[in-house]
Order: sequence, then structure tokens, then C-alpha cells
Amino acid sequence: MVILLAALVLGGLGWLAWRGHGRDTRTGDQPLRLPARPLGGKPIPPERLSGGLIVVSGLTKEYRGSKAVDGLSFAAQPGRVTGFLGPNGAGKTTTLRVLLNLAEATAGTATIGGVRYADLDQPIRRVGAVLETSAAHQGRTGRDHLRIICRASGIPLARADEVLELTGLALAAGRAAGGYSLGMRQRLGVAAALLGDPQVLVLDEPANGLDPEGIRWMRGLLRTLAAHGRTILVSSHLLGEMEQLADDLVIIASGRLVAEGTVASVIGSMADARRTLVRTPQPAELAVALGSGAVVTPAGDGDVYITGVDAVTIGDAAQRAGIAVHQLVTQRPDLEAAFLQLTTERAAIR
Amino acid sequence: MTLLDSHALDGAGNTGTTPLRLVSAEIMKIRTTKSWWLFLAGFILFTAVALVNNGFSHHYQLYPQHDLSDRAQALAQAAQARTPAGVAAIAASMMTSGQFLSVLFAMLLGVHIMTSEFAQQTATATFLTVPRRTRVIVAKLAAAACFGALFWLIATIIDGVTTPVFLHSQHVSTSLTGWIVIRSVLLSLLAFVGWAIFGTGLGALLRSEVVSVVAGIGIYAGGFAAVELVFHALYQLDRQGWILAAPVIAPAVASDVMITPGRAFPHAPPQWVGAAVMAGYAVALTAAGIAVIRRRDVI
Repeated sequence: MVILLAALVLGGLGWLAWRGHGRDTRTGDQPLRLPARPLGGKPIPPERLSGGLIVVSGLTKEYRGSKAVDGLSFAAQPGRVTGFLGPNGAGKTTTLRVLLNLAEATAGTATIGGVRYADLDQPIRRVGAVLETSAAHQGRTGRDHLRIICRASGIPLARADEVLELTGLALAAGRAAGGYSLGMRQRLGVAAALLGDPQVLVLDEPANGLDPEGIRWMRGLLRTLAAHGRTILVSSHLLGEMEQLADDLVIIASGRLVAEGTVASVIGSMADARRTLVRTPQPAELAVALGSGAVVTPAGDGDVYITGVDAVTIGDAAQRAGIAVHQLVTQRPDLEAAFLQLTTERAAIR
Repeated sequence: MTLLDSHALDGAGNTGTTPLRLVSAEIMKIRTTKSWWLFLAGFILFTAVALVNNGFSHHYQLYPQHDLSDRAQALAQAAQARTPAGVAAIAASMMTSGQFLSVLFAMLLGVHIMTSEFAQQTATATFLTVPRRTRVIVAKLAAAACFGALFWLIATIIDGVTTPVFLHSQHVSTSLTGWIVIRSVLLSLLAFVGWAIFGTGLGALLRSEVVSVVAGIGIYAGGFAAVELVFHALYQLDRQGWILAAPVIAPAVASDVMITPGRAFPHAPPQWVGAAVMAGYAVALTAAGIAVIRRRDVI
């Protein structure tokens, strides 16, 4: 009996130690073999467009008394790419997890086509999601990971190979996912999200780990899907990328909405962020000549930024005062400037 | 034809989740990792070891050694063992060889089926595919039961091939289709399935793979000694007969009572009580596990 018990304990410990044994630890990325064929696909019929509307209404999520999301409301429209932005810890991922029924809201609702995710008839035929933690089993091949999802949802297994080709993973399909690089894992997540050819795509930081070609491919894919009437809600911290990709923006900080609208309107709302770079040997005299309406701040190398007045006013004032001006450049605000201004007050790294 | 066009989806019939598809997906999850081969290998090894151990034990039962101090009693027991009922009991014992440890592997596989979702962070993908979590857990229970039954089948085939050879070598014979043998083998199936479900429920409740494995082994292997100690002490305080039967409330004892023809120990309750207690644990653990997994956020 003692021998049997010892064998039992050793067997159990051996099993625990072995669990990681079969993992493929190769980490090298394979060269992207993203297909060159046009993406194409079928547009969503107009009568079905409303089924892709994402509405978050008064959403609150508390963790042990702390509000990760606080009364958040916004919408993501069909046929558009909506960028979901916020500083670290702003509540983006929490919001997306509540939307996808992975976390329960403390208050408020999040619906897709007016229906909670949990109540959708065939969720993965309606919504594809790429989340940071939607990992594949380390010891399972990429193809098997996708086939299991197909099997559970009644989708033909051949669909797994189609999305593997689409995401450039066909050559790595038979390898254990534990050996995938971060970029390959991200593409496997995209492949899983596309299995059901969904009307809505929700992506949390999809560009993480992708190289420039992969990012460009992802941008093309999402733009094509949006052009077909699909709803794309994508969170990212890559502001430049988002400025190129998104039609609409939702910016949150500390769990609350701070801006919502088209990219142009959100940036345009930062009127006081427009500034003029002036190179002059007499910045103090120029400040006096402009009067109290202008704010002059150093820009390095003797240059100054001037806000509150436009370039014409600055030029005229300099001419009247006999001040030499060597350079006068109007700098329009970009998304980064708008984002920083909007979120600075509320930013909190939690 | 462009990339976003899909032959597979265009040709698909009715898509959507059904109970059968879910169970099939859960079985596929087990098949597509290497872990289950380890379970199978360990299980076959322990079955073989137990078979050899049982063989020697029954050999000495039939042919007592000469140097035994109570040789007269041993000879009487050997004569008893050679009766048709005695040989049938030996056949039943051989046909369920290795059960004690084999069902443990079924339970650990059940734990693994549930907890690997959290250890490997695949729970997110699983619950995105099927957001109704109760359905997923029920499918996992069914898959665990299938693998429990598969383990039983493999053990029964190994034992079924070996037992006639052993009986022949011992110059005794009996029919392996007799009720005593068949009943033992069928009760063994119940044990395999019951412990596989028990493990899955335990994994759902505890979620941590390591904690569940330790708890499972503790409940199974430590269960006998612990309850024997406790109830023996209680009996010393208050000498009531039911206290000696009460250890059946421990899952390991209940399982033993369920699979042992006659009485597993003096004062043991009937087999159906053991089966009922096992079923009760499986249902209670599963219900608690479902409640926990439904309520908790998937991290």
C-alpha cells in the first residue's frame, strides 16, 4: 500500500512537471507570407446593417470598490472603424470584456445589434473578437485550435484552413502554438475571429507584435471589412496608426468618456492646441507686441510656440514692431496632441 | 474568388452550437494535446502493475505457502477459493485489476479537462465561442465521462485478455460472463465515469490545476485513512453501530463500497449507498463548479 501511495504521489508530481514538456519553445517568427490576392468578400445587406450596431450605455464595472469603468456610454456604427483609445488602465479592455460577456457589468448595458453577447444565437457568426488573453493551448497546433472552435459552433473544419491562408499562417498551421511568436499568435487570434465571417469585429490592441507589413495588412483587412458594412471596434495605443485607420474615435480616461466623434472632429475640437512655431532673435519683444491674447512658450533652440493668435496676427505684429522673424509655421494638432490634452487630466496608471 | 470569400461557409449547412457538437469539441480538445497520452500511459502501466500484483495475491490464495504458521486456516481458505463462487470472486477481482489507481487517472483527467482552460488561458476563446457557460461545463462533464468509459474499456480489455490466461495457469476455470464478474465490471464502469465527473467538478470549483490535483489525490488516497481514523475515534467515544458504517460519506470509501461485491468492510452499507454517495458528490461538485464559473469573470 505504501509503495502504491508513493507511486501515486510521484505520478502526480511527474504529471505536473510534464505539463510543459510538449511545448514547442521556438520563438522565431516566420516571414510573413500574407496573400497578395485582393481581400474582396461580400457586403452586409443594408437590411442587416443595424445588427452590427454596438451600443455601450451607462456601463460601470467595479473591482473591489474601485471603478474600472464609470458610467461609460458610446456607440460604434456599422460600416465604420471605431478607434477605442485611452491611457493604460483607462478601462478599454474591461469595457471590451464586458461587451463580450467575459466580465459582468456592475451597472449599465453593452449590446450588439440590441442583444447582449450572451444572448446572441450564433455568437461567432455575428462577432469576432481578438483579445490579448484569447490564447491557444501551448501544446496544440494552430490548425487544431481553430478546428475546435469550428467543431463547437458547427462551422465546417475546412474553414480553419481558409482563415489560416488569409492570415498567412498556413505554413505554421501544424506547429504547436507555444512556438509561435507574438505576431503569429496575434494573427492566429485574427484567424479565429474571422472563422464565422462575422458582422462585427472587436479587437484589443491587434497591432501588438506585428511588424510593419503585418500592421499594413491588418489595416487593409479592417478597412475592407468596414467598407463591406461590418462594424470594427478596435482599441489601440498606437495613435498614428489609429489616425490612419479609424473613421470614428472613442477616447476614455479613468473609465469615463472624454471624447467621441469622427477623427477630424475630435482633433478639430482641440482648437487651442493649434500653435505657431516662430523663429525670432527677439522673442520677448514679440510677446510684448502680441499683447495678452497670446501665450508664448519656449520650443528649444531659441524658437517659441505661440498659441491664442494665428500666424497672420503674429506676422503683422512683428512687422509693426520691427521685429525680425526668420520662420513662421502653423502646426495643426494631430491625434497625439489631442489625445494627450484630452486625457492628461484624467490619466491614471492603475 | 477573393480571400474573404469562403467556400467552406458557403457550403455549410446548419451552423450553430448543439450539445453533440460541444461534446465533440471537448473530446477534440483532449485528443489534440499530448497530455492525454501521458494519462493513458500511466493508467496502462498502473493497470499492468496491479494485474501482476493481483495475480500473485490470488496465486498464494489458491496455493498457500508451506511455511505459514496458520497453514490449516490458509488451506481452508484455499478450498473455499476453489469453489465456483470463490473462483468467480477471483475472476471478478482480476477483471477489475488496477481499478484503485486507474480511476484516479480518470479523475485527474477530469481535473485537467477543466483546469487547463484557465492554466492555458484558453477559457476566453472557449467562452467567446459558447458564452453560455453551463453548456460548456456540461459538455466537459460528458467528455470526461466518455474518457472515463474509454479508460474502463481499455482496462477491461487488458484484464479480459489476461484473466483467462491466469485462471488457466492456476488450473481453475469459470465463466467470465457470469453475473458476479459482469456486475463487478459494470460497477467498475460506474466508478470510472463517476470519478472522471468528480474530477471535472472539482476542477470547475477550484480552477487551479495544482490545487485541484493535490485536493483530488488527497480526497482519493487520503480519504480512506482519514475517515477511518476519525470514525474509529468517534466509535470509541460512543459505541453506536452506525458510526462504523458512516465512513461511506467519504468519496473514496463510497467508491470502494460501490464497487465491492458484498461488504467492503465490516458494517459497510449496501453497494447502492456507495453509488448514491458518489453520485451525490459528483452532482454537488458540478453544481458548485457551474455556479462559480457562471459568476466569475473570465480573466
